[in-house]
Amino acid sequence: MSLELKHVQITRKGQALFAPICLNIFPGETATVMGASGCGKSTLLSAICGSLSREFRLKGEILLKGHSINPVPMERRNIGILFQDDLLFPHMSIGSNLAFALPPGMPRYLRDEKVKHALGQAGLEGFEDRDPATLSGGQRSRASLLRTLLARPKALLLDEPFSRLDHGLKGQIREFVFDQVKKMNIPALLVTHDPGDMAEGPLIDLTTHR
Amino acid sequence: MKHLLSMMAALLILFYAALSCAQDWDDILKQAQGQTVYFNAWGGSQAINDYISWAAKEAKKEFGIKVVHVKVTDLGEVVSRVLVEKSTGRKDKGSVDLMWINGENFKAMKKNHLLYGPFTQKLPNYPLVDTENKPTTLFDFTVPVDNMEAPWGMALLVFQYDTRRINMPPGSMEELLALAQKHPGRVTYPAPPSFYGTTFIKQALLELTDTPDALNMPVSKADFARVTAPLWRFLDRLNPLMWRKGKVFTKGAPAMKQLLNDSEIFISLSFNPNDAANAIANGELPGSIRTYVHRSGTIGNTHFLGIPYNASAVEGAMVFADFLLSPRAQARKSDPEIWGDPTVLNLSRLTPGDRALFEKIAIPTASLPPAALSKVLPEPHASWVEALEKAWQIRYSK
Amino acid sequence: MPLTRKQHERLANVVTFTPHMRPGNPPKARADLPDQADQGISSGTGMGTFLLLFPGSVFFTFLVTVGAGLWGTWLPSLGYLPAMGKTTLTLHPWTELFNHPAIGGAVRSTLVSGWGTALGAFLLSGLLFAMNYGSRTWGVMEKMLAPILSVPHAAFAIGLSFLISPGGWLVRMVSPGLTGVDLPPAWVIPKDPQGLSLMIALVLKETPFMILVMAGALQQIDYNATMAVGRSLGYRPAQVRLKILLPQLFPHMRLSLYAVIAYSLSVVDMSMILGPTTPPTLPVLVVQWFNDPMLETRLMGAAGATLLLGMVLGSLLLAYILEKAIIRCFEWRVANGRRETLLSPMTPVGRTLLMGGMTVFTLTMVILVIWSFTWQWPFPEVLPAQWSFRFWEKSIHDLGSPMGTTLITGLAATMAGLVLTIGCLEYEATLSKTIAINRYKKCMSIIYLPLLLPQVAFIFGVQMLLTWFHLDASATGLIWSHLIFVLPYIFLTLGSVYRSFDRRIMTTATLLCGSPMKAFLKVKLPMLLRPILFSFAVGISVSVAQYIPTLFIGAGRFSTITTEVVALASGSDRRVAAVYALYQQLIPMGVYLLAIFVPKLMFINRKRMQR
Repeated sequence: MSLELKHVQITRKGQALFAPICLNIFPGETATVMGASGCGKSTLLSAICGSLSREFRLKGEILLKGHSINPVPMERRNIGILFQDDLLFPHMSIGSNLAFALPPGMPRYLRDEKVKHALGQAGLEGFEDRDPATLSGGQRSRASLLRTLLARPKALLLDEPFSRLDHGLKGQIREFVFDQVKKMNIPALLVTHDPGDMAEGPLIDLTTHR
Repeated sequence: MKHLLSMMAALLILFYAALSCAQDWDDILKQAQGQTVYFNAWGGSQAINDYISWAAKEAKKEFGIKVVHVKVTDLGEVVSRVLVEKSTGRKDKGSVDLMWINGENFKAMKKNHLLYGPFTQKLPNYPLVDTENKPTTLFDFTVPVDNMEAPWGMALLVFQYDTRRINMPPGSMEELLALAQKHPGRVTYPAPPSFYGTTFIKQALLELTDTPDALNMPVSKADFARVTAPLWRFLDRLNPLMWRKGKVFTKGAPAMKQLLNDSEIFISLSFNPNDAANAIANGELPGSIRTYVHRSGTIGNTHFLGIPYNASAVEGAMVFADFLLSPRAQARKSDPEIWGDPTVLNLSRLTPGDRALFEKIAIPTASLPPAALSKVLPEPHASWVEALEKAWQIRYSK
Repeated sequence: MPLTRKQHERLANVVTFTPHMRPGNPPKARADLPDQADQGISSGTGMGTFLLLFPGSVFFTFLVTVGAGLWGTWLPSLGYLPAMGKTTLTLHPWTELFNHPAIGGAVRSTLVSGWGTALGAFLLSGLLFAMNYGSRTWGVMEKMLAPILSVPHAAFAIGLSFLISPGGWLVRMVSPGLTGVDLPPAWVIPKDPQGLSLMIALVLKETPFMILVMAGALQQIDYNATMAVGRSLGYRPAQVRLKILLPQLFPHMRLSLYAVIAYSLSVVDMSMILGPTTPPTLPVLVVQWFNDPMLETRLMGAAGATLLLGMVLGSLLLAYILEKAIIRCFEWRVANGRRETLLSPMTPVGRTLLMGGMTVFTLTMVILVIWSFTWQWPFPEVLPAQWSFRFWEKSIHDLGSPMGTTLITGLAATMAGLVLTIGCLEYEATLSKTIAINRYKKCMSIIYLPLLLPQVAFIFGVQMLLTWFHLDASATGLIWSHLIFVLPYIFLTLGSVYRSFDRRIMTTATLLCGSPMKAFLKVKLPMLLRPILFSFAVGISVSVAQYIPTLFIGAGRFSTITTEVVALASGSDRRVAAVYALYQQLIPMGVYLLAIFVPKLMFINRKRMQR
């Protein structure tokens, strides 16, 4: 169940953004890619989840559970991603936002139950009908993570998810995220420019990695 | 070879048989059943639109044809459309079945073979038309009609004045000029090439020229400058005294009617002798408006119904045209309460019952008695229209 | 949080250097790997290829239609019209055109009203923005913008002429009480020979459009931050708006300004109601010639239409050159450091102008309503002498079919336009930031052609084309012809919002639900519902206002509210014309209201969707 990057490198107009990366992340582990803004760390994530824009080229191989996912389209990769903004859909309730991530074909009561259960885990009991805009920043972050996890991803990508949170909240959310990754037993990859965000897994610093 | 020839002859005979058969009115009626007739007619008058929608309802009831009134602002649009259809080689399934037409549009369509026909001789009601006393039913702006369009109504150039502002209406162009001197800015006429304006110019020319006979000939045969000199002398004096100093003109009688209602002008004109009465009845004009004509007589013409060469519903169009010519439809049309457009029929040829339909229509106070309208001036030869319009534009439209 | 020692160690250890593979020196052994970059973002399922259908069909449709339309006008202008037996090429129509007595005056009044309108609307919207933005009057105006924009040109012209004629309502209000006259004054508006009243009416109608475009462009700029920066440097708000914001806004407004230039030079319906008469403006003259009973005249008409095309293109070129020149001349002035401006003390003037404009719009509506309930209204009564419901009653009976045609055509053309626009924008999204996107955008700008070319310069050719394929007088042809004019406006109003949609949202949604289509339908479309509905309303009101295409392509078989209105405006009955003009306003206004309130109601408990 691991996520493996084999000599992964991204080029733009023939120029490489960073030296090839080799990295193996085990289930339940969160690896960290560090780097200043503009070093290509978000681009790396979009390559992994399959939303790389055309101007970039990907070299190397990305393996999920030992299989290359390079040719697999984004929607079938089964990878979850969290951005620094929560990106909750503003036109849906919290409940609908979470239910959106559940696989189809589940009866209504089961969906409701799963959503309720998920919310309960994050201390958001009874938030089903709430408007995302009325939640606090921390609550939104948690809801956003729950939504991502409800899709049962095989790997989780974290694109500076804590950078918008204030200091006190940050630690709390970090704990929550890393706990969930452990609980779900999936590999996770965190990119950040803030050393304070680092997880306990392997680490790559792109600033020095040229 | 011989075989082929005889076969072709047989086919030809069949073809003619079919043709003569179709000429039978009953067959036309039968074919017309269920057809949809797109009748292209000016849509600017609610009274006329209402009349046409009444006629359409009757035609549906009586003949099972569906008539759709295509409301146009300018008949030229329709001519243009038929021309486009011709230029793309469409010989049938045209978009126009029947159109309200006369004068220049007729001349152009006839010349360019854009009309179906001759057909009016087939219409059962056509013999009732008063071709003897109303020569304009045979000559449309002096162009021979040749049964290519069915007479629909009579038009006379009449003037209207506001009795609150003027005591005595002018009886001639000279008196109109005098009135304009007395009330500067309260007289106007529509700008040619609007046919209202062109008709006003023609009326003035007929009244003022020293050589009226020249107007019956094609313009190329006349000394245009000499014949029209009195007209331009007159307009040179009249225009500066007119509404907006003759720098702005209206497009036609409808716009002048609004100005008359607003007292911006004191005198308006129309082709319908009952127009003022009709407008008073429906509130468009105040009750103080009366109709008058010039003493020397006034220009009259006829408006018609034509069928384009590629009409989709020729039979339906013919049946509807015939219905519009029927005494019932004509009597309703000539009622000032409805429309007030004078009939093209000869009343003496009608049955007493049909005649009674006309006789019971009262002449409203705003209209003139028939005797006052009897002096009809014939239109100049059609070729004068373009020459006059061009000369007018060179002088006054820069 | 400082780095722990453990973390430092890992920093040094985990990074795996592979010295033989340097940047720019691709690993040969890996060349057989599938090249990720060649797949579109949401591709892999052939989505990109499928989406290519949209720009493809749009491109083809517009190129063929406009091309054939122009061609079908140019040939007759060179004397080629086989239907009339004219098959030799000659310059005769052109010599006839330039020798026509009316041509000089027509060109002059067209240029005066066209350029006057473009400059007036642009400067006025800019000044009003600089002087009033953020004020309460501006807020009121922004609320009125949708209804003002939804007023069709013809209806506005009719209402305005009821208002400003010498015998109109304004004079009636003060006569004879104040003026002492019981006769209308002899002033020369509307329809003055110089085309000034037409120009003023057009400025009134186009300024709100420019303001709307500006408001749209403002959303791309952080207004509050810019304002704060500018003011902290000591500039007055009006100066900040003038010197810092307007130059940023202009690139977003350029296309709309060009559309205004082209429109005001080639407007027909408004010019027929308010423009000069002897001679009329060139586009009116051209339509007259096309409809002249002397069929030969339409060759000259084709030449006139082509001349008008040349005038429009020349004007656009001139506008482009002017823009460059102005930037050159005034660049240093922006940075001359002057913080005071004449604009600030003039703020009350701006407010008055804004109020005046809104008052005129309100009065034109009111006067239309009054006329629609009138029976008899002689001069100089301030209000009708007799009132009547008759025309409304009658209209309900007469109106069914034109109303139906208007709605069906408008809905069909607008839906088609929306689907095509969204398809094209989705395709564009798959291109991302490559060079291809610029090339693509350039290609797609062809859809703006109908906004920049005079309708009369190609609609007759289009009519010819459709007649050829037996598509004239058909619903397909009619909807097609409307689509040509609806699509550019939809593209114009939807494009920038659609392009600025946060791509990460679609990434998240697709990853979550595993289907790009589902993500598109359930997340992107609902989130964009508001701008989409607004474009929808714009599309409908553009379609409703189409007169010339409906008339020529519909071959008169289809009567819409607008053909009824213009036909009635050619008559004398102001009461019926007023009723129909109000109906003509009703449809777009209703749709604009829907566009405002449907998203509000649908997302009633969603704060961020209310904005």
